[in-house]
Amino acid sequence: MPGDIQTKRHILHLDLDAFFVSVERLLHPELNGLPVIIGGESLSNRGVVSACSYEARKYGVHSAMPIAMARKLCPEGTFVRGTYDAYGKYSGIVTEIVSERSPLFEKASVDEFYVDLTGMDRFYGTLKWSEELKKCIVKETGLPVSFGLSINKTVSKIATDYCKPNGQIRVPGEEVLPFLGALTVDKIPGVGKQTQKELNELGIQQVRQLQQIPPDLLTRAFGKWGHTLWQKAQGIDDAPVVAYREEKSISREQTLQEDTTDPAFLNVLLTRMADELAYELRSTGRLSAHISIKIRYSDFETHTKGQQVNPTANEQEMSVVARKLLKAVFTRRVRVRLIGLKLSNLCPGYIQTDLFQDTGPGLELRAATDRIRNRYGKHVIGWAAGFIPED
Amino acid sequence: MNFVVSSDDLLKHLQLIAGVVPSRHVLPIVENFLFEIGKNRLTLTATDLEITMKTTLEVETRGAEMRLAVPAKLVLEILRNLPAIPITITVDEDNFGIEITSENGKYKLNGENGAEFPQVPEADNTTSVKMPANILVKAIQKTLFAASTDEHKPAMNGMLFSFTNAGVTFVATDAHRLVRYRRVDITVKEAVNFVVPQKALNLLKNSLNGMEDILTIEYNENNAFFSVGNTLLLCRLISDKYPDYENVIPTNNPNKLIIPKKELASTLRRVNIFSNKTTHQVRFKIAGSDLEISTEDIDYANEARENLKCIFDGEDMEIGFNAAFLLEVVNNVETESLVMELSTPNRASIVLPEEQNEGENMLMLVMPVMLSSYSG
Repeated sequence: MPGDIQTKRHILHLDLDAFFVSVERLLHPELNGLPVIIGGESLSNRGVVSACSYEARKYGVHSAMPIAMARKLCPEGTFVRGTYDAYGKYSGIVTEIVSERSPLFEKASVDEFYVDLTGMDRFYGTLKWSEELKKCIVKETGLPVSFGLSINKTVSKIATDYCKPNGQIRVPGEEVLPFLGALTVDKIPGVGKQTQKELNELGIQQVRQLQQIPPDLLTRAFGKWGHTLWQKAQGIDDAPVVAYREEKSISREQTLQEDTTDPAFLNVLLTRMADELAYELRSTGRLSAHISIKIRYSDFETHTKGQQVNPTANEQEMSVVARKLLKAVFTRRVRVRLIGLKLSNLCPGYIQTDLFQDTGPGLELRAATDRIRNRYGKHVIGWAAGFIPED
Repeated sequence: MNFVVSSDDLLKHLQLIAGVVPSRHVLPIVENFLFEIGKNRLTLTATDLEITMKTTLEVETRGAEMRLAVPAKLVLEILRNLPAIPITITVDEDNFGIEITSENGKYKLNGENGAEFPQVPEADNTTSVKMPANILVKAIQKTLFAASTDEHKPAMNGMLFSFTNAGVTFVATDAHRLVRYRRVDITVKEAVNFVVPQKALNLLKNSLNGMEDILTIEYNENNAFFSVGNTLLLCRLISDKYPDYENVIPTNNPNKLIIPKKELASTLRRVNIFSNKTTHQVRFKIAGSDLEISTEDIDYANEARENLKCIFDGEDMEIGFNAAFLLEVVNNVETESLVMELSTPNRASIVLPEEQNEGENMLMLVMPVMLSSYSG
């Protein structure tokens, strides 16, 4: 019986409190206690808030709000430009700690983890285990973290949010309904301003009221989402914890508007894909050590071919390889309907310069185009060899 | 016909040239040694069609002169397993059957007609230069590690020999590091450049190692011939043009770092343990007389940092390197301390011994990694 299974699961949800702010405070202790607001690359008024401290939240500041509005709401706030490299690094450290100890875990975002502890309760208290994990993270990173421990991902996440910051809570199966019932509906993940307003109009403020409504009624009012909403209110969620996997490749594919046999045109597309993918690698501080291409002929026969390369994030090196691979793989005299480029074997690192190619302005040019892309978007500039006039 | 030879003498000569023999080849005859049996002389040849090695030894022959192809693997194996004793090798001139007889053993194998063995090009229209064999061995040891193995850079797969009246220069590079090893004590009247493939140089290094004899290098447009005593290696040259390396060696390097070689090498080795296993990237932060070398591997949350005292004349700077590349270069320095000449974090760094050995001039170069390629 499904109902049987779900009360027997033990799912831990871990969430680093105000993660970006906490990292900034580790690096700059003088920020402790201040309302801190973190923006993007530029702190100009056109940017948006990417995170803020609990102190700043009291002023009504929240993430995704324009910087200009945050300045109005919280004029005495400390505005900081985000150091995203550092966030990635600390997230990695926490991931490492979680992965070392957990039987099965999912990295839901940069600062959020689910751990499936089902079965461990037989040998070891799941609450005690979770407390120790929390202590270990605090001790090894200095970052505050909260957790909720319950029967599934939804309830655990709601529980974590409930006890934040620096809190912990366990909601055993039999307490799930009363625990959720006491909350307001906006505490359910997925219930935003709009849904809340509509529910309020129906006279529903508390989750308890939601729990008592027949599911059909909610489905009639909200469609499919209504059913999900009802399930969440009941604390029903069968979603499994999906093991964390680092992204090991990035790729682009394009189905052509018109099938072609023109290798020059395909080369242009590959050049452009290489340009975009290499920028994506550089902007996340990664390199790729394997390049492969894929073509699909108009009769849907598909061919791929790849090659190991020295780890690189240099689009010119990549397009040379991609063009060579295309030449090797495009052998039939049949029109091509799709072409793709994939970079795999990704690893962290920076571009190794080349004695014969990177002398002169090449490196500065790449740095400059990256800055332009950072500011105005990735499509605004690229190599002419990847330019298509119809664009 | 037959001949008598000491088993270890024959083995020693065959081992000298055995490195050339390919284990599998489209032309199976080259998986053999060529035995040319003359009057009391035995000439042994091995080839992979690109490289050929030849050596001669004295034997006692009886009967007609002949050419015979002998399966390389088999003959090496039996000779390796025999004690040093005289053996008699008898060849059936009609079917090239071979019989090896020792004091208390008899081994039979099938040879082939030596006439089918590929012809070796003759040294015609060549120019020649002489130098002690150990100088070439040292040049190869000091230089070849920097050569590329990337098949898309054929010229860089070899080592450049550049002869001028100012000296002889050996260069190897894979575009990430470069070694230029120059001997100013050997001069050549007619300037010439040619590129010798890596495999040939490795074979030369092994067969010349420890020899002090004079080596003769003869060359023409297509081939180079290296000979010492009665051993010869000839190889086809790489025809692709070698990159213009002189022009990319930076000349204006205002920042000069002097550091004890051993300490730098051991620090790099330790820090490198914690770097990413694919990229080996480390960061040099030079401030005053302090050199901080650090690394981090975000995937595993590994980190390492060490500080070294150095003598630094220049502006404080941060520059990234592939620690594995840099270590090879550092280990190549023979003096107690080494000098790094730096300009900017995106330009080549020059590594020099603190003092040049007599007759030598060595320059090495390492390309940095762009630590800030993104934010610029």
